[in-house]
Amino acid sequence: MRTIGHVLRAALALALGLAFLLPIYISFVTSLDRPQDVFVYPPHLVPDWNFSVWVQTWRGNTWMLAILNTVVIALATIAIALTTTVLCAYALVYIPFRGKAVVWTALLAVLMIPEQALLIPNFVTMAKLHLVDTRIAQIIPYGASIFGVFLLRQHLLTLPREYHDAAKIDGCGHLAFLWRIVLPLSRPILFTVALYIFIGCWNSLIWPLMVTSSPRVQPIEVLLSTFLTQDSSNWQGLSAAAMFATLPMIALFVLFRKPILRGLSKSSGING
Amino acid sequence: MSVTDAFLRWTAQTVAEPSPGPSRLREGLLAACLLAPVFLFLVAFVYAPAVLAFALAFLNFHPGGTTAYAGLSNFHAALSDPLFWRSMANTGLYALMMVPSTLVLSVALAALLQSNRRLFRFTQSLVVLPYVTPAVGTAIGWLWMYNPNFGILNALLRDVGLRPIGWLNSPHWAMPAVVLYSLWHGIGFDVLILLSAMSQLPEGVLESARVDGAGPWTRLFRITLPLISPTLFFIAVMTTIGSLQAFAQVYALSLSSGGPENATLTALLYIYQQAFTNGQFSYAAAMAAMLVVCIFAVTALTRWIGHRLTFYQ
Repeated sequence: MRTIGHVLRAALALALGLAFLLPIYISFVTSLDRPQDVFVYPPHLVPDWNFSVWVQTWRGNTWMLAILNTVVIALATIAIALTTTVLCAYALVYIPFRGKAVVWTALLAVLMIPEQALLIPNFVTMAKLHLVDTRIAQIIPYGASIFGVFLLRQHLLTLPREYHDAAKIDGCGHLAFLWRIVLPLSRPILFTVALYIFIGCWNSLIWPLMVTSSPRVQPIEVLLSTFLTQDSSNWQGLSAAAMFATLPMIALFVLFRKPILRGLSKSSGING
Repeated sequence: MSVTDAFLRWTAQTVAEPSPGPSRLREGLLAACLLAPVFLFLVAFVYAPAVLAFALAFLNFHPGGTTAYAGLSNFHAALSDPLFWRSMANTGLYALMMVPSTLVLSVALAALLQSNRRLFRFTQSLVVLPYVTPAVGTAIGWLWMYNPNFGILNALLRDVGLRPIGWLNSPHWAMPAVVLYSLWHGIGFDVLILLSAMSQLPEGVLESARVDGAGPWTRLFRITLPLISPTLFFIAVMTTIGSLQAFAQVYALSLSSGGPENATLTALLYIYQQAFTNGQFSYAAAMAAMLVVCIFAVTALTRWIGHRLTFYQ
């Protein structure tokens, strides 16, 4: 009885897991079908491996530019946000100063403000700075990562206090301690934060949609949404384009499953 | 550096700074310098805009044009705009469908997938995978699955002898279809934090319940769920807040229209349309201000209910 139960549970789990993959798989199959296999009933579930739609769609729009834009925006955001994160978390953990409680409350308050309320005023700011329709406008609003500060602070608090005391006795100043001890010991957690920022940039829609208008600076998700709203009956082309946007994220997930999952399960502690 | 060298430096430091005053001041200055970058960005793009957002709502602002004080007129206009009410009602309906189904489904999936065996670890990854994929990119696959004539969902319905559904073409089914998509996209996060909460439960409690003859269902409902109720409460709050801010999923699945017949026009989608399709920035800001107040109120209510139902160790 127990073995039957175990097998049933495993089978059910596997079936559910594959069901979660189905919507992506359907796009994959549709994009690789021969045209006569697309509008058929019942739906076609084995691909024809016909890559002509991929080639045609790739050539028909500036996907390469959109991907480059996304990567440049993501890397710049990562560089800025990781720097600000490290400095802020270090001060919070290792430097005693007056008003730390106020600073901490101010950081917590950011979580209370819905990002959506900020979209319109931030657009106005960008318009005043003449930054509308630029890559910079997609980078600087994310220069401070509260998620990163919280995650890194949590991590630093678990490091032994003795490291800091020993360094102090050895005459190692704050900046040297930060550079030589804290950074090397925080590499995995900073990598997780960087991955999150990258995924967030790749998937972000509403802000880039608002603040950009030309494909010259637009990230992939915006180009894809333009394609979708303008050419919504071109199923094969859309499915191929959907693969351009989705497959890199799947590859990233397969490559860095562990840090991504670790970051996800830790992020629940932030609001908790 | 030798030990004596270190000792000399240490004594030099302590001797040179007998009073804590200057060192305190220096540390304070250093802290300010280290905190400045984060707060520079937060002031520019969070704190100031949060204030500006409310100010905009009381103005008649046109980018590149004139700005005039408008008093409460934007709020009056919104409150007598049937589409604003419709969008708020749609958002509430969406949240009402999302929160209970997220809780039930994430608990069911976590209970099913809780195991360290490879097959289950693999399945956990498959369930989380949609969470890291882009909304528009994956919505295209769902649009195809929802296709009334050629989609796999209606094929399944026909196979089991049910009548096919119009899904995104039907005003009745469009919102449930968006909910189904959102569950697929976001549930992995909830399952993962439930699994992580379940793995931190004290072994002894579950083991002694097993010895006392409690079956798997009893253990789940009588021990595991009450013990992880803070996590369930966290999921409820996060899903509520996320649902009230629904945008990308409806933007993609309704091809940015909020249709059919405004059935999937959420508050944020309507605000977006007013601001960026019609250029009504102040009108949109007034509606955004009301949405934010609603989000705060609903979050406070959820917290109030949650604290009464949650068991803290």
